[in-house]
Amino acid sequence: MNVTLTVNGELRSASVPPETTLLVLLREHFMLTGAKTGCDIGDCGACTVIVDGKAVNACLMLAAQADGRTVVTIEGLATREGLHPLQQVFEETGALQCGFCGPGVIMTAKALLDENPSPSTQEIRTALAGNLCRCTGYVKMIDGVHEAAKMLQSTETPALAAPQQR
Amino acid sequence: MKHRGRGIASMWYPVGFTGYSNPSGAVVKLNEDGSAVVLTGTVETGQGSLGALSQIAAEALGIAPNDIHIVSGDTDTCPMDTGAIASRTTYITGNAVRLAAEMARDTLFQVASGMLGVKPDQLEAKDHKIQVKSFPSRSAPIADVCNRAYNGVGTPPIGSATWDPPMVPMDAEGQGKPFGTYVYATQIAEVDVDDETGEVEVLRITASHDCGTAINPMLVEGQIDGGVYMGLGFGLYEEILFDKTGKQVNCNLTNYILPTSLDMPEIDEDIVENYDYTGPFGAKAVGEPSLVPTAVAVTNAIYDAVGVRITALPATSEKVLKAIKAKRAAEQKQIPA
Repeated sequence: MNVTLTVNGELRSASVPPETTLLVLLREHFMLTGAKTGCDIGDCGACTVIVDGKAVNACLMLAAQADGRTVVTIEGLATREGLHPLQQVFEETGALQCGFCGPGVIMTAKALLDENPSPSTQEIRTALAGNLCRCTGYVKMIDGVHEAAKMLQSTETPALAAPQQR
Repeated sequence: MKHRGRGIASMWYPVGFTGYSNPSGAVVKLNEDGSAVVLTGTVETGQGSLGALSQIAAEALGIAPNDIHIVSGDTDTCPMDTGAIASRTTYITGNAVRLAAEMARDTLFQVASGMLGVKPDQLEAKDHKIQVKSFPSRSAPIADVCNRAYNGVGTPPIGSATWDPPMVPMDAEGQGKPFGTYVYATQIAEVDVDDETGEVEVLRITASHDCGTAINPMLVEGQIDGGVYMGLGFGLYEEILFDKTGKQVNCNLTNYILPTSLDMPEIDEDIVENYDYTGPFGAKAVGEPSLVPTAVAVTNAIYDAVGVRITALPATSEKVLKAIKAKRAAEQKQIPA
């Protein structure tokens, strides 16, 4: 079957078997390997992408369900001018260690900040509860989301304000 | 009803096993522009070891960590390393990198000695310069010295070294020193235990860790956070269950339970620095030690809260509730009829 969707601002199509998940579509047909295949059954959150503004486990959504929708993956965050504030803060503060969960955590955090620009610690914890991380204990991630929220609020064009000192 | 409890646990942890060989090798070469390349067999798994090794090499060479390019984990090109195991990388690989960097630096001292008109042992490497000790205005940029070493004197500055922790063998009484050094830590847990459900909520962990010199305090905090997290999983949630045929029955993350961001307490990371003369710039270790006391601090806190000792981990709600009920039953029996 044919699916057509907007991925990171670009209209893309593919012809895939009907059982294809959004994750397989992104990774194996569009070669966007940022979203990770972890458990592949919706437990770990490593495959999180944003579909029409909501954080979604791409392993639990069929490619066909994404037809006509707008998908943002980790590859869609950085611009030519620099990293997204979440990526920048996570890099500079050691919020990620091995990094496998990172793309999912950052997309979950972005979906949260898009909806709620200044979340409380409890709201961040609740949002990240579906993203498992074995290394960090989530401590510096939670601090990093607070920090990125401040950076995003301190400027009108946040994506362009990111590249200082890079 | 919820009961608040506090528990404390302390530990020591050995770093740099001896007994059989435990070496790391390193090669450090300075380039013509004053930057450096470090070859090491160790592997970065996210803990930040290559960052710490860059800092160690940079400190020894008097340049910045950004000037260091590390080539790691490639057995075709890198010297042997026992492994990214046993919390040994900063301590053992760090010592090898320090020694190799000092060897390369000594070549620069020889070259700069001719340029500055002093003996090599009167020189130090600092702030991208080779300078006369206690007379820093008499100096040469490290890039100039490197370039002269390559293209003038003809002694490219390259150092290689290995380090294996020294052993004190066992004497007739079986006494010796089996490890290079030791680290120490104390953690305090504050918990709420619900005596109707057995549920344990960890509110706060204070983790004080001796790691020698904290080469990179941010990474040390990250290791403590991760260790407390794993210790908490070990203490309260994580258990591999087998059926009678030896097959694992909980092989998915649905039923092998890791703590999530909602289960994590506040963590106060407290770095207690000291200088260990056997470590690189006084550093020891922090990786594995950070999870050792957590589960014990939590189970001690459970005892403080509801008076039951959990002696088999994990201390799941079921186990804690069962222990609370058993305690109540025992107390009721003691009342004379």
